[in-house]
Amino acid sequence: MQNTRYLIIGGSAAGIACAQTIKDNIPKADVTILSDEPDKPYFRPLIPYILTGKKTVSDISMLGSGPYTHRDLKVLTGCMASKVDTVNKIVFANTQEYPYDKLLIASGSRANIPKELEGQLCKGVFALRKLNDAREMIEILPSTKHVVMLGGGLVNLKTAFALVEIGIKVTLVVQSLEILSQIMEPQDAYLLKDAIVKSGINIITGKKAVGVIKKNNSALAVALDDQQEIPCEIVCIGKGVKPNVEFLDGSGIKVDGGVVVDRFTACNIPDIYSAGDVAVTYNPITGQKVLTGLWTNAVEMGKCAGLNMIGCPTAYAGTFGVMNATQIGGIPFVSMGTVHTKDGDFEVYTHKGRDSYRKVVFSKDGTRLIGIILISDISKAGIYRYLIREGRDITSIKDLIINHKINYASVMK
Amino acid sequence: MTGHDEFKARSLDTAVQETLKKAKEKGIETVWDRYEKMLPQCGFGDTGLCCRHCLQGPCRINPFGDEPKTGICGATADVMVARGIDRAIAAGTAAHSGHAKHLAHTMLKMTEGKAKDYTIKDADKLKAVAKRLGISIEGKSDMQLAKEVAETALGDFAEKHEGVYWATTVLNEGRKKVLSSLNAIPKGIDHEVSEIMHRTLYGVDADAVNLLLGGLRCGVADLAGCYMGTDLADILFGTPKPVITKANMGVLKADMVNIAAHGHNPVLSEMIVKMAEEMKDEAISAGAKGINIVGICCTGNELMERHGIPACTHSVSQEMALLTGALDAIVVDYQCIMPSLVTVAECMGSKVITTMDICKITGAEHVEFTEQEAGQKAKEVIKIAIETFKRRKSKAVDIPNVQSTVIAGFSVEAIVSALMNVNPNDPLKPLLDNIKNGNIRGVCLFAGCNNVKVPQDKNFLTIAKKLLKNNVLVLATGCGAGALMRHGFMDPANVEGLCGEGLKAVLTAIGQANNLGGPLPPVIHLGSCVDNSRAVALVVHISNYLGVDIDKLPVVASAAEAVSEKAVSIGVYAVAMGLPTHVGVMLPVLGSPTVTSILTDKIKGLTGGYFIVDLDPETSADKLLSAINERRKALGL
Amino acid sequence: MKNPKEIFVNVKKCTGCKTCEIACAVEHSKAKNLYSAISELPTVKPRLSVEWHLSGKSIPVLCRQCDDAPCMHACITGAIRRDSRGVVVTDTDKCIGCWTCVMVCPFGVIGRHLQTHKAYRCDRCPDRDTPACVQACPTGALVFAQSDEYSRDKRLAFVSEIAEATKEKA
Repeated sequence: MQNTRYLIIGGSAAGIACAQTIKDNIPKADVTILSDEPDKPYFRPLIPYILTGKKTVSDISMLGSGPYTHRDLKVLTGCMASKVDTVNKIVFANTQEYPYDKLLIASGSRANIPKELEGQLCKGVFALRKLNDAREMIEILPSTKHVVMLGGGLVNLKTAFALVEIGIKVTLVVQSLEILSQIMEPQDAYLLKDAIVKSGINIITGKKAVGVIKKNNSALAVALDDQQEIPCEIVCIGKGVKPNVEFLDGSGIKVDGGVVVDRFTACNIPDIYSAGDVAVTYNPITGQKVLTGLWTNAVEMGKCAGLNMIGCPTAYAGTFGVMNATQIGGIPFVSMGTVHTKDGDFEVYTHKGRDSYRKVVFSKDGTRLIGIILISDISKAGIYRYLIREGRDITSIKDLIINHKINYASVMK
Repeated sequence: MTGHDEFKARSLDTAVQETLKKAKEKGIETVWDRYEKMLPQCGFGDTGLCCRHCLQGPCRINPFGDEPKTGICGATADVMVARGIDRAIAAGTAAHSGHAKHLAHTMLKMTEGKAKDYTIKDADKLKAVAKRLGISIEGKSDMQLAKEVAETALGDFAEKHEGVYWATTVLNEGRKKVLSSLNAIPKGIDHEVSEIMHRTLYGVDADAVNLLLGGLRCGVADLAGCYMGTDLADILFGTPKPVITKANMGVLKADMVNIAAHGHNPVLSEMIVKMAEEMKDEAISAGAKGINIVGICCTGNELMERHGIPACTHSVSQEMALLTGALDAIVVDYQCIMPSLVTVAECMGSKVITTMDICKITGAEHVEFTEQEAGQKAKEVIKIAIETFKRRKSKAVDIPNVQSTVIAGFSVEAIVSALMNVNPNDPLKPLLDNIKNGNIRGVCLFAGCNNVKVPQDKNFLTIAKKLLKNNVLVLATGCGAGALMRHGFMDPANVEGLCGEGLKAVLTAIGQANNLGGPLPPVIHLGSCVDNSRAVALVVHISNYLGVDIDKLPVVASAAEAVSEKAVSIGVYAVAMGLPTHVGVMLPVLGSPTVTSILTDKIKGLTGGYFIVDLDPETSADKLLSAINERRKALGL
Repeated sequence: MKNPKEIFVNVKKCTGCKTCEIACAVEHSKAKNLYSAISELPTVKPRLSVEWHLSGKSIPVLCRQCDDAPCMHACITGAIRRDSRGVVVTDTDKCIGCWTCVMVCPFGVIGRHLQTHKAYRCDRCPDRDTPACVQACPTGALVFAQSDEYSRDKRLAFVSEIAEATKEKA
């Protein structure tokens, strides 16, 4: 029998995790990865470190790093899938044909460009998503005094800090009332906002960019919806991501926002699986469908898909829509599970300290932990993740959770 | 580690090494084995961050800075450490002064006719002490005077307005001023101990600096206790004069009834020595050639300095004496007596005899010692040893053929009288001239114990060698003296090999002036651990002579292998006296950077003295030398 | 490495003395000596902690070296890998202190070093045959053994306990 041909569209978190999982189990498996990027797979979240020069391109390479011990994975770079023929089991890319027995769609996502800014892209306007974006930005950084960043999400914040670190002035234009609105509510973010302001980043909230003012196809300023024009050399768009699904048109693969999969990461057509940013997964707390741009989700889902592709049926446990850990302005924080509580019926406890903040969200009946925000003291956060995910009755340890006194011994049964 | 190296790592004393080999062959556990089993030791205790002062505890603070940062009551690491070290000082003070109180009671009973076996051996010293205390001596009999001195001594234990006489009358003016300004003149010896217990109680003193100042005052009370112990012992049993004797296990005699006197107080051991003579015939009729009394630890020093009784061994190697199989009884009073002796004695068919109401050991034979029946009780003890000898005499023994010649017994009085033979009118002058001209670079006092954490004697030998070569006059007390004497450092024959040229010349000159036919020994034996008071008396003497306070003199101290809390309290009074004081094992204070820096640095601004804590003997020696040099420089020498 | 030795905890024997924590910190200091370690910078950290169960029992908790190490897969920098001993280790050069590993560790055993801004965890003492905590434990509550040998010992202990009990009855 011919060796099964595993084909993976996408050479980032989900794709590489899937390939690694297949190779771990079947070392001689024939695995091909199609990546639309010119670079070998890399750790995308480290792009801000490329801007500051703290990490080099080779530092952030995935292959051979961490769990990705297979340095010799066959990754075809610059290879953008344009069509999937699910009848003949062929993927088309760069006029080449790639036949498969098992296919993973892990084509990921791209930066979401707001409608108002569509068609305004020019030199100096970026959505910092890929290594090449960083390279381009680095090129014009020496002549840059001011960067306007549109969007108050994590990616933009990390980039903003990276730029401030190398001495560039940054203004953050946030459409919502507060930064990080995707992962916390306005009243949760005060410590982080203080840290951002202290670092010298200028924040404008409740305003929207409506256009880019250009000269010679280079950015000169950003126009806001209050007639204000902010002069700048670089505009950085960080308004979320959009799944790369367009090439699936006409393939018969079911798409609803992203690629629709079952609990076993399988698509509606046999032998086709999907994982990562492009796939629609579900939230184990709410049971609702969810699309995320989370690296950790992509890896977990990719691993799961890999197991399913080699015939080990493995259900994916889903992901919270919010599951972020990082450090901003010297303040570590974790936000996960259901943390937007304004419009829902939950039991919520908050602790507002001078240097730390905590928000603990329980189900309406108070018996299950469903979300938590920890700012500053994030120790043992993983135990909460486990409790949220398992949906365990936490009545006996509720006080420990509310007071952030949890430890592993206390959750042992 | 295999073979002999294993034993070398435990002790530098070849007699001990030899005996350790025997212990291993016989499967008898020693202090070194128990130490290994104890490893690793508790890091909280080691850094002083464990508190058991109340029933809400025990509390321990994380020495690496994370939670918990305070005890349950809120005591910080600084407070916890300061309270802990204060209690160690109090314990040491209680012990030395308990020893002195015992002597005072004995003396009082003697004057009341209730302790007939005791007499006044040194009436001159009695008069000198009485005079110093401000007791009129006119027209009083020695017994009357002794009664008043004993009563004054006992009066020093309770709190009184005038302060402790054995502190106020023994210090030079400079020290008195410094210590008064720090409120560090003790009001009563027992009072200070008791006050430390009070202030370190749950919810009392919670200020590290204040706690340490309290500890300092208690340390001065410890000096008083030691000084009193020396004074009263000298009056009752004689002020030491140089005497030639031997040290190490080779002093045991297979064909004699061997009795080791172990512990601290001469009250008991003097009687043993006295009665041994009377009971010689009984021993001979039991088949022995006589009775051989040897010393262990400071009882050994007390007997050696007054009677030339040889020293068998010291401190950490006390079990070894029994392991020779030649010891028929080991009679103990109190302090530094390892309970394990009973087990070793059982294995070796020997006896441990306890004598004090406050110090009984399960499995030991107890002969309650009283001053009223002192001679009688001493005889009982010797009888037990003779009985053991009868069972033991036919058995083989393993006495290491190791012993060193020792000249011991240099009381301050003896030192001054030796110097008077050099310059009768101005006895201190030759000594100080030699310090000025650099023949003697400075003075170092070695004190304290042997600690199982250090290869026995290594720190003492390493540091003493370096200091002697650099012409530092070395004095020694307690088991520090024990370490140095067992290695020949108190044998005049070794001056040539050990001492620098300047020191050699001085020791030789004094030796010749005294018709010794050779130099004084390289290291001067001052006596037991309470006799650290002799060192203080000597520096006070020098300081008064020069009109320069002690903290300016090129004098340092080292408890290079300290064990007992008594070494802690001695260290504290050495610092109170203004001496740079080395400790060669870790004090449990590192958990508090504040306390550590006060003890090793900031206190220098208060008393002039300070602790040098260094576990490496080589660098320790360098630090002691540079402390001496610093002071010489400040004096323009 | 097949069937590597692991650190097992005999909860019955733990007295909560935290000697393991101190030994661990000292082992991971530069000086490897308590007296120097406590003043070292960056501050030395123990990689295990004795925690409290609601029942009042104390339990030493340390990295379990999960087969499917969530920390390793979640790491966004590739800093966490499994070494030749089978031990999951963090490469501090690669670690950026994003704390994703802290967020996903179900045991809560990954520490954050606030001075170095790096994650740290039990590394099974690469320089030692027996990990420092195991060697330090005064009661034998920590055991370093292969899982099959440990479970065999447990079974034997159980059997002899029963044998003892029946003997007493008889």
